[in-house]
Amino acid sequence: MDESNATSQITGDFLAVLKQRRLISEVPASFANRSEFKETVATTILGFKFGGGVLVAGDRRATAGNVVMYDRADKVLEIDNRSVMAFAGSPATASEMARILEHSFKFYRRSQLQEMSVEGKLRALSKLLRDNLGMVMQGVGVVVPLFATSDKKSPDPTKLFFYDAMGAQFEATDFASSGSGAPAVRSVLYYEQNWGRKPLRERAREDSILLALKALDTAAEADTATGGIDRHGKIYPIIKIVTESGVETVPSDKIADLYAAHVA
Amino acid sequence: MIDEPYRWVEAIANRREYIENELAPGSPTIGISFSGGILLLTFGQDRRKIFEIYDRIAMGAIGHPGDIERLRMTALEVASMEGFTRSAADVSLRRMATNAFSPALKQAFEQIYGAPYLARILFAEMGDSAESDLFVRLDYDGTMHANSMSAGKRRESFSVIAGTRRGLEAAERILSGAKATGLKTALEIAIKAWGAGLHAAGQDAVEPPEEMALKEYIGSRLDEYTVEAALLDRESAGSHTAFMDVPQADLDAVLAKFR
Repeated sequence: MDESNATSQITGDFLAVLKQRRLISEVPASFANRSEFKETVATTILGFKFGGGVLVAGDRRATAGNVVMYDRADKVLEIDNRSVMAFAGSPATASEMARILEHSFKFYRRSQLQEMSVEGKLRALSKLLRDNLGMVMQGVGVVVPLFATSDKKSPDPTKLFFYDAMGAQFEATDFASSGSGAPAVRSVLYYEQNWGRKPLRERAREDSILLALKALDTAAEADTATGGIDRHGKIYPIIKIVTESGVETVPSDKIADLYAAHVA
Repeated sequence: MIDEPYRWVEAIANRREYIENELAPGSPTIGISFSGGILLLTFGQDRRKIFEIYDRIAMGAIGHPGDIERLRMTALEVASMEGFTRSAADVSLRRMATNAFSPALKQAFEQIYGAPYLARILFAEMGDSAESDLFVRLDYDGTMHANSMSAGKRRESFSVIAGTRRGLEAAERILSGAKATGLKTALEIAIKAWGAGLHAAGQDAVEPPEEMALKEYIGSRLDEYTVEAALLDRESAGSHTAFMDVPQADLDAVLAKFR
């Protein structure tokens, strides 16, 4: 009785048969349209010009929704011996972009037997961002980077650029920031630049490292997606400095010492 | 006509003779491995002959500039593709030479209706220590010589490509009798080996010149040739820039001994 009833209802396609016989389970609608999907994102980064070049810093947190995915993320990446890319947004897309940039700059140098121009490098990143726009419109893989490099031909030999998600490129005169903690960082840097003890460009190296730490700490105060500084876990921001002669990474224990002596 | 076996062998022999004649005047390229890295040195007249291939790989060549350029680009592409899709640690000169270069060179050489490569190349790959440095010499017919590929063979800390067999042997004789302790000594040995190689190529005598005569001979060539030297620097092996030109000051200091 039951069986004949079931047979008579078969009118649709094979999938309908499977569903009717309960041989496959229904896919929940919420999962199917991905509204539950939380992408991993990395957040606050900053860059500013100081007496010794350009300082680029980023906190270490990566989050997916409310979850802290990782507290040792590296968002400040060395692309070659004179350029640094820092990113806020999807680490999956950003690290792939960094890899592509690193390889294309190297390949250019090796095949053409000369270094790629600064303009060429900036365009390369811009193009990667624009190519990614389709993914961004679908709601995943957004990346909003900063790019710092040295340009020996320019009267101002260290340069800092920021981008929007579509690939528009802007040159920063004094500072730039990106990510969820950016409003706080921007306020701190604006304040220090205009009403601080002295303009950012006149500051020495240690002073500038301290300022970066304070700015990231301020951002972390109100933004859960910014990791700030974790002294117990000994997790400090990544800070890189682009000078005329190249890129230096400020060692983590040096940051710890400065932080202990002047901030905490 | 040419598909008869005898004709084919004859055609190959003609082709080998032609290529050897073309390569004979080539200026030798010397590779020396020492604790600080690998030095590649040659003297040229008008074009560059030592190139960066990948993070730890460099190349020197003798031959037609067009063919050298094609081989250089192939090496760059093979190494960069592997390095990009996998990692820099997966790029291996041993595999690149055996799998990509040797068969391709042999095929181009033996396809007698097509043009062969008029080139002889020397690849160097820097390892973690001088003991694991690798040199691979590839000829136009795909023949391969490495400083360490056969079991039981003593690993040599140098390699040479020269225009002629006699030039190669003369340069090797200098290299096997000397030990480089640093960049300065490596440069000096390499310049001597280059001189011996070039000298032997133009002579019928097999005997190498005396020490003083060799110095004089090199000194007399310095107006005609300019030195080209590059270093794979072991200290910066982890970065992207292990390949660098040897600073002019270092070159001048060593060349002064020959002038």
